[in-house]
Amino acid sequence: MEIPLIVEHLSFRYRTRQEPALRDVSFMLEAGQVFLVAGSSGCGKTTLIRCINGLIPHSYKGELEGRVLLYGEDMSGKPLSVISQIVGTVLQDPERQILGSRVVNEVAFGLENLGLPRDEILARVDAALAYLDISHLRDRETFYLSGGEKQKVALAGVLAMQPSILLLDEPLASLDPVSAQEALRLIRRLADEGRAVLIIEHRVEDVLKINPEMALFMVDGEVRYLGPTSGLEAAVDYHEVKLPAPMIIEKARHDPPPTYLPPLLVRKEERASLVEFENVSFAYEDGPTVLQDVNFTIRQGDIIAVLGPNGAGKTTLVKHAIGLLKPREGRVRLEGKDTRELSVAQIAHVIGYVFQSPSHMLFAPTVHDELAFGPKNLGYDQTTIEEGVTQAVDILNLGGLENYSPLALSFGQQKRVSIAAILAMRSRVLVMDEPNAGQDYKNYMAFMDAILQLPYFDAILFITHDVDLAVCYANRVLLLHEGRIAADGPPAEVLADAALLKRCRVVPTSLLAANLEMLPRTGRFMRAELLAHVRQT
Amino acid sequence: MLIAWKYRERNTVIQRLDPRARIIFMLSILVSVIQFWDLRVILGFLAVALGQYFLARLTWRETRRPWMVISFIIVFLTILTFLTGRGGVGTAYHEEHLLARLGPLSLPIVGWSFTLDITAEKTVFAISQMARMFAITAMAITIPYTIDPGLYGATFRGLGLPDKFAYAMDLAFRYVPTLGRDFSITLDAQRARGYEVEKLSGGIISQIRKLAPLLVPVTINAIVGAEDVIDAMDLRCFGIGPRTWMQKLQYKRADKALILTAVLIFALSTAASIMGLGRLWVPGFVLAWAK
Repeated sequence: MEIPLIVEHLSFRYRTRQEPALRDVSFMLEAGQVFLVAGSSGCGKTTLIRCINGLIPHSYKGELEGRVLLYGEDMSGKPLSVISQIVGTVLQDPERQILGSRVVNEVAFGLENLGLPRDEILARVDAALAYLDISHLRDRETFYLSGGEKQKVALAGVLAMQPSILLLDEPLASLDPVSAQEALRLIRRLADEGRAVLIIEHRVEDVLKINPEMALFMVDGEVRYLGPTSGLEAAVDYHEVKLPAPMIIEKARHDPPPTYLPPLLVRKEERASLVEFENVSFAYEDGPTVLQDVNFTIRQGDIIAVLGPNGAGKTTLVKHAIGLLKPREGRVRLEGKDTRELSVAQIAHVIGYVFQSPSHMLFAPTVHDELAFGPKNLGYDQTTIEEGVTQAVDILNLGGLENYSPLALSFGQQKRVSIAAILAMRSRVLVMDEPNAGQDYKNYMAFMDAILQLPYFDAILFITHDVDLAVCYANRVLLLHEGRIAADGPPAEVLADAALLKRCRVVPTSLLAANLEMLPRTGRFMRAELLAHVRQT
Repeated sequence: MLIAWKYRERNTVIQRLDPRARIIFMLSILVSVIQFWDLRVILGFLAVALGQYFLARLTWRETRRPWMVISFIIVFLTILTFLTGRGGVGTAYHEEHLLARLGPLSLPIVGWSFTLDITAEKTVFAISQMARMFAITAMAITIPYTIDPGLYGATFRGLGLPDKFAYAMDLAFRYVPTLGRDFSITLDAQRARGYEVEKLSGGIISQIRKLAPLLVPVTINAIVGAEDVIDAMDLRCFGIGPRTWMQKLQYKRADKALILTAVLIFALSTAASIMGLGRLWVPGFVLAWAK
């Protein structure tokens, strides 16, 4: 039997760029295999997918060398309509991939384009939905689906075309841990039934749970490791790719102990209350209750991780703190004042809110103007504005980029600009929504380290799906479930309760397990590199 | 959310009709009503449009926001036309009967002073213009709330538009809520930076410039997102040849009757217009005030 996918000496340079995005990449993917492609942002993973599914050279122009063989046949010059019946691609953002207003339209889209008879389309649509166990979504509007449902619907639209090779570009990116586990089980099943599956994912630790047969690790468009997944551990730098904690501990043992810098933010004895939630309940217009009877206080020195599944009310909670939403019942007080009596602009003097995606806020012609926007709105004088901007530039390492357009920067740089824009406002409480979203491991850990070393904040709060971020950085965990606070306390207490985590759809990680095991010796949670050296002593 | 509507299935006469017949009827009313300035005729069209709106059993609560936005625009345009005296003079009416003269009045900010002549024709024209725009609004506003979003493509294809154009319409309706949500996130993100859209000041150009913090991110996001949308379409063979439309629409007797009515309304309106009927009508009692 022919091998489904062979990539031979593939190189590609986009027409608009100087450097090649791929350099001499070769590998093969067999039927029944899950093939993991890992690497940091910009390493060429997405370009590789585009070369395989034909978007390069059909839609993206540039210099292409090498070959892609599907079942032994060279695909250069073949139309996309031929390739896409063999290779199915699920793009990173299902929101953009889903084209139909209703699930049934979305799943039928490719089949309609192929001009198949209506009866066959309906039969294939129903079969794809049944296969993924989402027949109940058939007539739902796609816009109102959850992230996990959207991911499955996008996959159903691809599976309906009956491809034998599947390319999945960061399929876990928008999923909470439980939905991600479910998606991974499904991916394993797709391969076990004979399909060849190539999966690009930053969350390497999660993908390793389904035992991919092969792994490819890329750096700057080049293959750094290609082989069985068992060899990945030895080949990759654990600072760049998030490996399971036992692997990191094993590897880090042989390295010098890392320097640990405790957060500058420390709890003082008399801890002032900054934000208080008193019996807060909230619902959007005619919708169901999103927050119910929420009581908690953010105090000086808190580094709070807000955990909970999608739809638990995390973002709604935070929007109440900044005054973007006002409670239906109860009250939120900012330094003693009811937020109903304060404008968002007034609250912004105290609370800086970094949204998940920088692309939703960056607009100014230069980085300098972007950073000056907030302080200007808050009415600071020119000297104070310039001081704030200069400090923010220094802290976020944006020196030299002040006159660049923020829209022309890389995603990581944009994220730093979005944080700097809040820092320049000199807010004392920093609130971040999914600070690691869309960033690779090395970048977001460096970024969190830097934030915790800043001297300006009285408190930090971040929303995350990533339990390990809470383990590494928080001194307090707030667990939300169905709009209520299910737990609030030190990480070592809240995250030790396995039953509670399960009830709240929070999935324990290997780092959490390692920390819990060593807690009697360490006395606190820490990252895997540090644990490695605790074990030695 | 600025742009938001939600289709709901309702067991109504309107929703049982074929969407193609409804679009044809809507177009017929639109093209017919703009041929008249006679308030009596326009009120007839307004009654038909409102009849359709009420038969669709839409509630004020769900349609309140678009009604308020569009009503504001209609009233603003009407007042502007009334104040400037442009629009009707020379086309809908040629002579004017003075009812009152106000002024000299002074415009705030710019300080221009002018005299406002309130004439019978200008007043009736303004009322007719407003009624005409409300008739069009009532006709059109019903559509997104009552046509299944999954049927737009099949509907426009069924009306004879090419596949690509029909699907573009489908896609537009699909992404309006996404655009609305993106706008909402951007608005929140900028408000969290102390931006207060309600406190914009200065001239029109300056105000538009001050909207950049909202408009730039939303536009850039839409453009970047469009690249993914195009990839997704390419990867599933869009545009390679004639496509099958899974939804099959079938005209029933009521649909045919509605189309026939639409054709008759359009034909009669056009004939009346050619014959010079339906021009601006100024009630006698208004003219009497001028004397």
